[in-house]
Amino acid sequence: MAGVGLLNFGFEFLEIFAFIVLATVGLAVIFGMMGIINLAHGEFILVGAYATTFAFAAGLPLPLAMLTGVVLTAVFGLVLERLIIRHLYGRLLDSMVVTWGISLVMIQLVRIAFGNAAPGIGIPFGELPVVDGPAYYLVLGVLAVGVLGGLYALFMWTDFGVRARATMQDAETARSMGIDTDRMYMSTFAIGSALAGFTGALYAPVMTITPQYGTGFLVEAFVAVVVGGSSVIVGTLLASGFLGSVNAVFTNVTESTFIGLVAMLLAAIVTIRLMPDGITGFLETVRQRWGENR
Amino acid sequence: MQSGSDGPTLAVLEDRSQDFALTGTPKYRTSMLAIEEINRDGGILGEEVDIFAPDPQSDNMLYQDLTRHAIYREDVDAIWAGYSSATREAIRPIINEHELLYFYTTQYEGGVCDKTVFPMGATARQQLGAVVPYMIEEYGGEIYTIAADYNFGQLSGDWVQIIAEEHGGEVVDEEYIPLSESQFGSTINRIQSADPDFVMSMLVGQTHSAFYEQRLASGLTDIPIGTSTNMAQEYEHLRIDPPALEDVYAGVNYMQELPTDRNEAFVERYYNRWDDAEYINQEAQNNYFSIYLYKEAVERAGTFETDAVIAELESGIEVEAPEGDITLDPETHHMEHNMHVAHSDETHEITFEDAGTIGPAFLEEVGCDLTSEAEQTQYEPGAYYEGI
Amino acid sequence: MSHGTSDELQARVTGLLGGPNVMGNSPAFWAGLAVAVALLAALPVLFGYYAAEIGSVFLAYALLAMSLAFIWGYCGILSFGQVAFFGIGGYAFGIVAINVSTMGGLTLGLVTALVVSTLFAAMLGYFMFYGGVRDVYVTILTLVVALVLHTFMGQTAGGEWAVGDARLGGFNGMNGVPDLGIGVGLIGYEFGIAAHYYVTLGAVVATYLGLRVLLNSRFGYAIVATREDETRTEMFGYDTTFIKFAVFTIGGAIAGLSGVLFTTQNNYIDPSVFGITAAALPVVWASVGGRTSLLGTVGAALAIQFLDYRLAISGSEWALVVIGSLLVFVVLVIPEGIAPGLHDLVVSRRSRSTSAESPGSDGGANAEEVSD
Repeated sequence: MAGVGLLNFGFEFLEIFAFIVLATVGLAVIFGMMGIINLAHGEFILVGAYATTFAFAAGLPLPLAMLTGVVLTAVFGLVLERLIIRHLYGRLLDSMVVTWGISLVMIQLVRIAFGNAAPGIGIPFGELPVVDGPAYYLVLGVLAVGVLGGLYALFMWTDFGVRARATMQDAETARSMGIDTDRMYMSTFAIGSALAGFTGALYAPVMTITPQYGTGFLVEAFVAVVVGGSSVIVGTLLASGFLGSVNAVFTNVTESTFIGLVAMLLAAIVTIRLMPDGITGFLETVRQRWGENR
Repeated sequence: MQSGSDGPTLAVLEDRSQDFALTGTPKYRTSMLAIEEINRDGGILGEEVDIFAPDPQSDNMLYQDLTRHAIYREDVDAIWAGYSSATREAIRPIINEHELLYFYTTQYEGGVCDKTVFPMGATARQQLGAVVPYMIEEYGGEIYTIAADYNFGQLSGDWVQIIAEEHGGEVVDEEYIPLSESQFGSTINRIQSADPDFVMSMLVGQTHSAFYEQRLASGLTDIPIGTSTNMAQEYEHLRIDPPALEDVYAGVNYMQELPTDRNEAFVERYYNRWDDAEYINQEAQNNYFSIYLYKEAVERAGTFETDAVIAELESGIEVEAPEGDITLDPETHHMEHNMHVAHSDETHEITFEDAGTIGPAFLEEVGCDLTSEAEQTQYEPGAYYEGI
Repeated sequence: MSHGTSDELQARVTGLLGGPNVMGNSPAFWAGLAVAVALLAALPVLFGYYAAEIGSVFLAYALLAMSLAFIWGYCGILSFGQVAFFGIGGYAFGIVAINVSTMGGLTLGLVTALVVSTLFAAMLGYFMFYGGVRDVYVTILTLVVALVLHTFMGQTAGGEWAVGDARLGGFNGMNGVPDLGIGVGLIGYEFGIAAHYYVTLGAVVATYLGLRVLLNSRFGYAIVATREDETRTEMFGYDTTFIKFAVFTIGGAIAGLSGVLFTTQNNYIDPSVFGITAAALPVVWASVGGRTSLLGTVGAALAIQFLDYRLAISGSEWALVVIGSLLVFVVLVIPEGIAPGLHDLVVSRRSRSTSAESPGSDGGANAEEVSD
């Protein structure tokens, strides 16, 4: 009995963990690396979901439909970057207002173009034994970790990653070293958009799709980005793990989703207060101090 | 002054953007349909009806300003406004101050007893009174309640408990879920371990409808679900792929699928007028018949003057609604609805079980009589029933 | 009286109200401002109760906007949670005024609301600034606070969530909040529609003048210095943490006052004031109007809300598309906001051609925005 209870709890944690990671990762790349607060993040996710659901309704198999969602969101992000976002680099707070405007426009445009609801996609893979939950959540969990791993590899180990990081840290110097910084910004934004599109695609079967779909991701995403701190990938992982556990534990112990949600938000407030630079900023300080003391 | 201020003007404030657009748009459309039909047939008292129909964008602050605009600038004779109870409460102080005739058409928690307000939708007690006894009869008495964590959800949960006890059932557990929640894993786990005879769902909104997809993928479809909120409002059975809503039973006064000649003709007129429309939900039908109800009352009164119209509305007036012939209860200003239990099968085909005419019993019990006392109150069951 | 004294007085007043920290120091500006205020004051006379009721709501927004322009534009603190103090002020007034149903209750309600929202801002400010929370983290943290309040207040529907006779009311909101008034015990004066409008207008004007005095004081210089370079200001011996704390608290008090004015106008408040849409509005107003201009932000709040309102009345499905596009356009084309943009334009034109007949600076622009 206790074993099953523990499995159930683990499964609930996995569900919320995967949700936070995937909700956050696109935003984290764009915010952490480029200093753009993208309040239209939810609507990037919306583009991915709509593209997926309409591609699926048109007869594409689900994986291909999801790929369509990712590609279209990346293209969409690219166009937006060229037209609007590139004027906002270094203007953190202005970027917030502009993307808020974009979000208003997009929700309403989607409504005008596609109506108030989009066709549904059932959750694939059926049911898991023992925990009686969707097997698809295992896939989401694996993909969440996989995405973080892939990003880590991309930014730490590839030539592109080195150049991208150099650009984000000091564009001036990077340019003098011969890096096409404009292109680096463009591709990083496209990657962030593609990730948002991926989230939209993956959650298209789990959540019903309406023009308000993207707003359901926003709170978790912002909280996790800030709690995570400056280091995008490790930060997202740690913040999602931490916030996900708080949510899962409180929901389970009190048997109330409300308390789980409020506990998660309060935990975020306290974390920011204790670690003003987020978890990774705090770890960095600890590491430096430890280095000095040795 | 404003254009056409000499003729009658009706205000229709229904959301066509933001959160409530999904449910507000059909309400707007059936209202337009009714008014256009009336104008084609010679208007009300021979006068063409003007329409003031802004888009309040699901924003309560905007609702308040637009209600003032309707009163001061458009000089409207009556108003149809709002989906959520919060919206109704947001504009009710203004409505009361100006004693404006207000038709609120959403199915709601019940209890509003207000001289100029006519809640046309079925109350929680009317809807749950149809579906809960039916479910206990069919499946047994152990109930697990899940509901949205706000006024409507909490009061509906109370009503489930009251009605269950009246019919020999029992609520084994209840859970209230924040409106922003989209991940239902832990809730589904708890339902599975409680293993009730059926679940009562008063989940609300497009975020919550994710519950049904997750229910299917968690193998929870073997536990039937009774509901007062799903299908008839946000047409989940058409938006979500089958069989996620298999064995969902809704207590309703109307759904688009109702197989009567009168309703089928109404549905045809609606889709002829709005060819890209998605659904006619319960409240959209309520808007439609209540505009005709208003016309009837005005014509009996022979004037648009509010007091005279209210007097006629309080005279036991009847209307030929798409759901059937229904009567307005004079004392409580609510409708005595023809209730049905609508069942969705594994292909999301809807069939109906007649649940008879159910009146606004609760307000009668608490002694709301607007024909003799002009109150402006909202009653709640907590004060009148033990143990909730 | 001699001519000299009135000149002296004028100089003292200008010295108090004017200075390099605020825009608009010319006689033309003050004349423009006077005209704008006179026009606003004339609205109820010209358009009746309708204008007074809608105007009161918009002016309450304007006051909220000013609270953000003050802390963001002048001290560099971007709070995404000004609506938290706005809502707390409204709820606090409602709780007290519903329970103490005398004229004195209305005064007590106003005082309590101001005290509670100020204290809440002070607590939050202390928590953040003395804990080293900075920049964008302040922004997100304040937003999360507003969202926690939104979630919490939304589920307070049950009868157990009441303070005395005042039901918090959950999602459906708190009903039956009385009108604003002043009095002691049973004697006093409850503001009617027109009086409420003038009280709100008076609050906006008084807050504006008060903030100008504050910003041109020694403390004001320290505030702006903190925005420009915190480390350097600290090295000059200023306690920048305290400065940020104080500014944030004052901003919270102003937002609380605007919440009271808003709630008493509608006799109602609900948790949607804490929601993310409401929370974004002040930020939008300040960005468009120009956060370093108090009047610009006020003008933007009035203009945007008015436009939003007119578009809603039109019933067009394109309303939000228009509003959103406009935001994007303004911020891209005039990065510092409309009022500072206009100010620069006027100043540069003046310095080029020294003709003095240019119309007032942002006061004139503002009058134009308001009277449309």
